[in-house]
Amino acid sequence: MKLLTANFVQCSVKACSATPKCFPLHFDQQTADVPLELAHEDVDFSPEFVYNMLPRIDWPALTTTARELGNNMLPETKPEIENPNAPEHEQLLRDLHTLLLETQIIQGSMRCENCGHIYFIRDSIPNFLLPGHLVQ
Amino acid sequence: MFPTPSTSHADYDKVYEPSEDTFLFLDLLQEELPFLQRRFSDLSILGSPLVLELGSGSGVVVTFFHNHILPDALFLGTDINPEACKTALETSKVNNGTRYFDVLRTNICDSLRPNSIDVLLFNPPYVPADTLGSYESSVKSGDWLDFALLGGEDGMRITNVVLDQLDNIMSRERGVAYILFCFRNKPDEVSQAMRAKGWTVTKIGERKVRWEILSILRFEKE
Repeated sequence: MKLLTANFVQCSVKACSATPKCFPLHFDQQTADVPLELAHEDVDFSPEFVYNMLPRIDWPALTTTARELGNNMLPETKPEIENPNAPEHEQLLRDLHTLLLETQIIQGSMRCENCGHIYFIRDSIPNFLLPGHLVQ
Repeated sequence: MFPTPSTSHADYDKVYEPSEDTFLFLDLLQEELPFLQRRFSDLSILGSPLVLELGSGSGVVVTFFHNHILPDALFLGTDINPEACKTALETSKVNNGTRYFDVLRTNICDSLRPNSIDVLLFNPPYVPADTLGSYESSVKSGDWLDFALLGGEDGMRITNVVLDQLDNIMSRERGVAYILFCFRNKPDEVSQAMRAKGWTVTKIGERKVRWEILSILRFEKE
């Protein structure tokens, strides 16, 4: 699972979706049986692609996720970029590219702050199925 | 005609094999290319579109979409079948990949942030049947194909859940959903009901396949 995906998902439990605590899910408590494993996977860099991704990103959630995964490099507020091809922005766009698109969470777990449910990631695939009320 | 992505690595005992319904989806998406390019030509305010294939199976439809329709979009797939999740990632990779594609194992789209999807692609389990796939027995047997096919009474059990949630799934500004129906799903009645809820519904095409008439409806909010 790419790190960017953490910005698009929340707790599956219906009761949680009414609370702001269902998002983002947290990586701060990992379990011994599925220890956190990150990997770098090369993706072609395009400044425009990263630039077009920016409006979609919930920045406070992203900084939380990045911090929990050990990256404290992100600015506090979402950067404002006018021209993605301006040389002064290249490093920032490259850093975001590496963080969001090239960082693979091979395995680990995510925790809902509201209900405490743990979602596991294995073989890079997060599992959001809930035991008990899976298929109505 | 754009080429169909390769799925030669897929194990069709475990994942739904691309079939006539899949090919109708690919052909009609190709015809939708001008509409979609127009709709997503200006990304300056809302950014890249997020494209979701619900029940992505082998991943052939979502891969076709990123190879030929909107290459610079962001892509997600969902599937309840763990083999399908792995196969879809593989399908994307062996067909030149995309900068962003992930597959979530989930029921329908339970875990997605509300109102975040700009393009929804859904080829549902539309075949009318007395039963649906059973999660418990699929876990035991490893056989998930019923989930890809059987839609309960009218074949609408799963599609109805999606239609009911559509308001909550789709982005308010520019969401557009493509859903496949067979004649016994009563697509005309579905269109009418969804229009009454404020959706613009367009039949983008239909095709007779053996004893079935398959069609794809496009849903947009006014």
